[in-house]
Amino acid sequence: MAKEIVAPLAGRVFQLKIKPGDTVEADEEILVVEAMKMETPVFVPCDGTIREVRIKEGDEVAEDDILAIIDEEHIEV
Amino acid sequence: MRPYFEKMTEFGHALKKGRIKSTEENLNSIKKIEKDVAGEVNRVKLAGFSEEKINARGQMTVWQRLEYLVDPGTWCPLHTLYNPMNNAEGTTNVIDGVGKISGKWAVIIGFDNKVLAGAWLPGQSENILRVTDLSKRLNIPLVWLVNCSGAKLTEQEKFYANRRGAGTPFFRHAELEQLGIPVLAGIYGTNPAGGGYQSISSTILFAHKDCNIAVGGVGIVSGMAPKGEFNLEAAEEIIERAKQFRAKPPGSVYIHYDETGFFRYVFEEETEVLDGLKDYMKDMPAYHPKFFRVTEPKEPRFPIDDLYRLLPLNPKRVYDFDEVLARLVDSSEHMEFRPDYGPEVYAGLCKIDGFLVACIGNRQEYLGRNYPEYADYPGMGAKLYRQGLIKMNEFVTLCGRDRIPVIWLQDSTGLDVGDAAEKAELLGLAQGLVYSIQQTDIPMMLLLLRKGTGSAHYLMGGPTANRQNAFTLGTAASEIYVMHGETAAVATYSRRLVKEKEAGRPLEPVIEKMNKLTKEYHEKSRPLFCAKNGLVDEIVPMHDLREYLVAFAGAAYQNPKSICPHHHLILPRIIKG
Repeated sequence: MAKEIVAPLAGRVFQLKIKPGDTVEADEEILVVEAMKMETPVFVPCDGTIREVRIKEGDEVAEDDILAIIDEEHIEV
Repeated sequence: MRPYFEKMTEFGHALKKGRIKSTEENLNSIKKIEKDVAGEVNRVKLAGFSEEKINARGQMTVWQRLEYLVDPGTWCPLHTLYNPMNNAEGTTNVIDGVGKISGKWAVIIGFDNKVLAGAWLPGQSENILRVTDLSKRLNIPLVWLVNCSGAKLTEQEKFYANRRGAGTPFFRHAELEQLGIPVLAGIYGTNPAGGGYQSISSTILFAHKDCNIAVGGVGIVSGMAPKGEFNLEAAEEIIERAKQFRAKPPGSVYIHYDETGFFRYVFEEETEVLDGLKDYMKDMPAYHPKFFRVTEPKEPRFPIDDLYRLLPLNPKRVYDFDEVLARLVDSSEHMEFRPDYGPEVYAGLCKIDGFLVACIGNRQEYLGRNYPEYADYPGMGAKLYRQGLIKMNEFVTLCGRDRIPVIWLQDSTGLDVGDAAEKAELLGLAQGLVYSIQQTDIPMMLLLLRKGTGSAHYLMGGPTANRQNAFTLGTAASEIYVMHGETAAVATYSRRLVKEKEAGRPLEPVIEKMNKLTKEYHEKSRPLFCAKNGLVDEIVPMHDLREYLVAFAGAAYQNPKSICPHHHLILPRIIKG
């Protein structure tokens, strides 16, 4: 299932640590938004693979902008 | 009040593997700083003569005495790196902290007999006054290990006189006694002049057989009549007198046990002096913890070492304050006060070692587009706004009413500024918080998690609240300054930049000064600087932080000056609604 990762606040993408195809683990820091002199890290909500990255470092983003899409990993029991 | 406190609301989450992966660098950076701090602490421990040399003289070092005296696992050292006058010895020459003796909390302090036989040094009286203040604030006994050779005479001008000079602790001892707080002293070695008063100003004196206390020592009685200059004849006279007094120094056990009776007890062995102190501490008036505990003590549900991953070293990095707090308090449970108001401030009731405590801290995250409500800009955590200030005023006042000790957990960039903030009365509300704290006569402590900045450092239980703040702890991430160095550089040089630009002159020299100032701010706000200059009372490894909270809560509830029955508490009822 695909999950959207949205900007928690408006600001500038300060660090981007992922690219499409990367596998990530739940709660991993994937990017940082700089705003109001502070750096807000963004974490992935689940294990999975990055399907799409819609921003690059230095981009200005608005609150709730979709930054990336992750395909959630399904573990078959 | 079991229904309120036995099971409070759980908070916090276990770290997931992704977070662990992302925070490895932060963990290593914090541990590196903690290693540097530990290196400095070790340097203080090794100051002066070696343990072997002192032991060869038949004496224990102050560290060995402390180890023998204090209940295992309870020692929380303070002021270890404090050296505000930059003494060549690297120490103020007293070692102190909070610990249990015979199961009772006490403030404990001893002269380092390895360094100049425990002499008075510059900055030492400030150290001692912090200790007497601590004993007064927590209302717990002060236990001294006296071994003081008197003033380091070559630097007397730096500490002998003045309002807070080397004699001031004697008045503080008297003040403690007048408040009903005993000062016990184990006395070793030669204690002339200042060392004599250091001993006699205590309530009960436990002496080692080889000790002496005196108004003046060998040095003074050998040559106290000034003759204008020294010559060979005078030197010979001095030698003769010194030999005589060295053989039999004034104020020995013979005088002060047999003649004056100042020494209540005299012991053959060094350890017996400490046993005497332990014996008295056993009988010291103190409430049993069960009198005040609201539940049985429990450890937090999450490992304290998670703090190395949860608290970013980078001062700009946002984190979840609640997750940090969940690693410090019993069962990771709380009752949050007004969670829907003043979101930048956490205020809540928690338990430490089964005792009820109030915790106040700075949330760090983005606060949404509609907050603060008085401004057209969004709010960011770590900053204080109108609602947060009102919330802290209310909470502190109610803590005073309920007699609940307060633990401040500070990491603030300061107050919101600008005309909107002025119109929202922030200045008045901030001083209102000072007023609320000042009229709240309960012990408080500050854990400076990261930034202590602007007036927020004062307002949120900082050491400037002299009468309330028992002690202030720093971490490897702590930094203290009036404002960030870059902000200070802009404030200092912005008009100069404009002037130079308008005059057509090069800007580089001004820029160079701005960078220099920023660098100085950085260097003068680091943990080691803060510890050395007393801006914090100790830099504590993350792993040990909870031990200090346990000591604070236990000491605050050991013999409180005023009590509120659990069933009369109003704060839990207000929170419950």
